[in-house]
Amino acid sequence: MDKSLQVMVMYLLVHIGLIYFTYPMDIIASLDVGHWSAILLGYASHVALIGIYLKGLSYFGDRSVIEIFLGAGKMLAVILLLPVAIYFLVVMTITVRAYSEIVTLIFLANTPLWAIMALLLAVTAFISALGVEALFRTALLVAVLFLPVLLLVFCLSFQNADWRYIFPLMDKKTAALSFVISRPFLLSQFAFTGGFLFMGFIPPYVHYNRRSLMWTSTLLLPLFLISVYVPLLTFGESTASRFQFPFIAAVDTVDVSWLMFDRVTMFFLISLIGFVLIFLSLLLWKTTLLFRRGFSFVRPVPAVLLLTLVMFIVCLQIPDWSSIERWLWWNSFLRLYVVTVIPVATLVLGMRHVRREAACP
Amino acid sequence: MLLLDRLRERRRHDADLFLQRMFITHHPVTLAGYTSLIDLPRTVMLLEQQARNAIAADRPLFALESGIGECMNEPDEQAVIEAISEGHVIVIAEHAGLCIKIIPVTRTLSRSIEAPMTENVLRGAVSAFNEDLDTNLGMLKKHLLSDKLRTRSYCFGKVRRRRATLLYMEGQTNAALLNALTRRIESCLDRDVPDLCALSKMLGFNVWTLITRFNTTEMPQDAASALGKGKAVLFLDRFPFAIVLPSLATDLFASENDRNYPLLLMSAVRLLRVLAVLANMLMPGLYVALVSVNPEALRIELAMSIAGSREGVPYPALIETLLLLLILELILEASIRLPKTIGPTITMVGGIILGQAVVQAKLVSNILIIILAATTIASFTVIGFHNAISIRIPKYLFLVLAAIYGVLGLFIGMVIVCAYLASVRSFGIPYLYWWRARENKHG
Repeated sequence: MDKSLQVMVMYLLVHIGLIYFTYPMDIIASLDVGHWSAILLGYASHVALIGIYLKGLSYFGDRSVIEIFLGAGKMLAVILLLPVAIYFLVVMTITVRAYSEIVTLIFLANTPLWAIMALLLAVTAFISALGVEALFRTALLVAVLFLPVLLLVFCLSFQNADWRYIFPLMDKKTAALSFVISRPFLLSQFAFTGGFLFMGFIPPYVHYNRRSLMWTSTLLLPLFLISVYVPLLTFGESTASRFQFPFIAAVDTVDVSWLMFDRVTMFFLISLIGFVLIFLSLLLWKTTLLFRRGFSFVRPVPAVLLLTLVMFIVCLQIPDWSSIERWLWWNSFLRLYVVTVIPVATLVLGMRHVRREAACP
Repeated sequence: MLLLDRLRERRRHDADLFLQRMFITHHPVTLAGYTSLIDLPRTVMLLEQQARNAIAADRPLFALESGIGECMNEPDEQAVIEAISEGHVIVIAEHAGLCIKIIPVTRTLSRSIEAPMTENVLRGAVSAFNEDLDTNLGMLKKHLLSDKLRTRSYCFGKVRRRRATLLYMEGQTNAALLNALTRRIESCLDRDVPDLCALSKMLGFNVWTLITRFNTTEMPQDAASALGKGKAVLFLDRFPFAIVLPSLATDLFASENDRNYPLLLMSAVRLLRVLAVLANMLMPGLYVALVSVNPEALRIELAMSIAGSREGVPYPALIETLLLLLILELILEASIRLPKTIGPTITMVGGIILGQAVVQAKLVSNILIIILAATTIASFTVIGFHNAISIRIPKYLFLVLAAIYGVLGLFIGMVIVCAYLASVRSFGIPYLYWWRARENKHG
C-alpha cells in the first residue's frame, strides 16, 4: 500500500521540529544582511542531496540502504554505516539534552533536568518500540492535532512585523557567498540535514512515491524563511542577533486579546516538542535497525531499551549549554560526512547496479 | 425401545422434558422435546394436519420423502438430546423404528422489535435488534436487499452452545480480513463464548486493551452500512447487538444516522465530536497543569479568578480533581444500575446538592465543577457506549502527567495516546485506517 502521505507528513514534521530553535540564531549570526541567500543556499543543497539520495534509492526498488550497502560488501557497509549509527546516537543525545534545557528555560523552571530527559526518552522509546508503521501513523495523527496550532502561531507571528527591516537585501559578503565556511552557517545546516536519511531506511516497510516527496520539500522553503525573517522583521537585525532563540522571542511578543492564554509561545513550543519526539523516535528506530544488523541476536524491544539507557546516561553527563554547543560543533563534521557520503554512495552503487543489470540481465 | 427408556430416565432430572404419546394415522408415536421451548398443543395440531394431508394425498406418512421432518438414521442418545436441546421436537415411531426431527411451533421467548435502548435515533429507522438471532438476521436482510450478502452459521462451545452468524458482502469485504476472521472462528469453535470479553479473546485480541476491537450496534441500518462498506458483521444468539469488525477510529465520530442530516450539519456535528473527545481527555489535565504547574500561561485576570476560586481549598489540584472525577464516575456507574424511576433523584442529589455543597464546604473550587461537568457531558457525544467508556481512561494518564510536567506533560500524554492508537491493529487493519469502500472493491 502506498503511504506517501505519511512519509510526506513525517518529512515535514521532522524538519519543522528542528528549524525553529537554533537555526534562526545561526543564520542571523552568519550574515548581517541578505539572510535569504544563506537560507536559499542551504535549501538548494538540501534539495540536491535529497534528489541524489532518492535517485540512488530508485535504482534498487524496495531495498533499504542497509541492504544496498551490504550487497556491495560487508566491509563497505561497516565503513559507511558505522558513522551513520554514531551520528544518529549523537544527534539523539544532543537533541534530548538541548530540548530538555529549552523546556526548563521556558516553562518548567522548577523541574529537574533529568526528569524531563527521562520523559522525552521514555516516550521516544515507547513510540519506536511500537514499530515503524505505528510510528508513521502516529506522525500523521500528531500532525493533524498539532499543525493547526502551529499554523495559527505562524499567522500570528507577523503581528509585530515591520516590513522595512527586510532591506537591505544584499551586500558584498552575501554576493561572494563568503559565509559558507563560517561556523554559524555550518551549524545551521543541522536543520536541513537532520532528518532526510530516513527515506533510505523505510522502503521495505513503508512504500512511498519519490516524486511527491520532492514536491513536499518545496513546502519547507517558506517555513525556513519564516523562521529567520519573523524575528528579523520584528526586532531588526541588530536586536535579533542578541537572542538565543530569536523565533521564540518573536512569538513571545505576540499578544492576542481574545485568547485565554497569556503566551502563545507555550503552545508553539509544545507542538514543536511533539514533532521532535516523532523525530527522535524515528532516529531511535533507525539506530535500532542498524544495531540489530550488527548484533542480530538482540530482540527489538531490549535493543530500544538498551540504547535509551545509554543515551540517558550520556545526557546526564552533559553539564551545560556551552557543552551542548561544543557537541553540536564537533558533530557538524560527522554530519557533513554522513549527509554527503551516504547519498552519493547510494547513487554510485545504484548506477553500478544498473550497469551490471544491463551487462548480464 | 432403548432410546425411549433413556429419555424417561433423563426426565427425572429434566423436569421440562416431555414424552407425549399419541397416534398419527393410527401409528403410535412419542413426541419428545422441551415444554419450555415448544408450544405443544399447536405442534400437535400441526402434526395432525400434516397427517391428514398425507392421507388425502394417499402417501405413507413416514416415508422419507413425505417431508414432515428430517429423518434421523439410527440416532444415538447424544444426537437426540442435542436436537432436543436446540429446540426441535423428535417424533419417535416405535413400530417403524424411526426417529424424525421436526421443526415445532416454538414459544415466543423474545421481546418484540422495539426502539433501541442505548442509541437514540432522531431521524432514521428506529427499530433495533433484539435477542433472537434469526429476527436480527431478518432485520438486517430487510435493510440490505442484496444478492451479494453471504451468511455463515457457527455454533460455539461444547458445554454452553451458542449460535453465531457471520455476515459479509461477497466481493466487497476485505479479503484478508475475512480470511483471517473465518480461520480464527473455525479453529476456535469448541470454545465457550459467554460474553464479549471471551469473544475478544477467541478472536485473538489482547485483553489489556483500551479500545474494543469491534463495534457493537443496535441499529440494523448501521450494521447494513458497515457491511456495505466492506466490514464483517457477527451476530451472537441472545445478544441484542450486531458486532461489527473491525472497529476504527472514525467510528468514534461518524454514525450512519448522521447522513440523514444535511451535509454541512453532518460535518459540523462530526467535528464537534472530535472536539468533545479532545475536551474530555484534556480539560481535567489542563486545569491541574494550569493551576499547579504553569499558572503563568494563563491571562492574569483568569489566573487570579481561578486562584480566587481555589481559596481555602486545602489540598493540591491533582487530589481535588481526582476526588471529583471519582464522584462523577460513581454517579455514572450508579445511574446505569438504578431503575429509571430513581435516576432523576441521582441527578438531583449528585448534580445540585453535592455540587453546591462541595463548593460551599471549600473542598473543591467551583471552576473545577464547571470543567468536570463539561468533561462528563463531552464524553458521551462519541458514537456508541463502548467508545464512551474507552475514552474515560486516558484522562487519568493525562492528569498524572499534567500534575508532574504541567502543560508539557499533558501534550506529551497526547502523543503517547496517539502512538497507542496508531499501534492498535485488528486482523491486520490499523485502528487509524481511513476506511474507503472503493479501495476494497477488488477484495
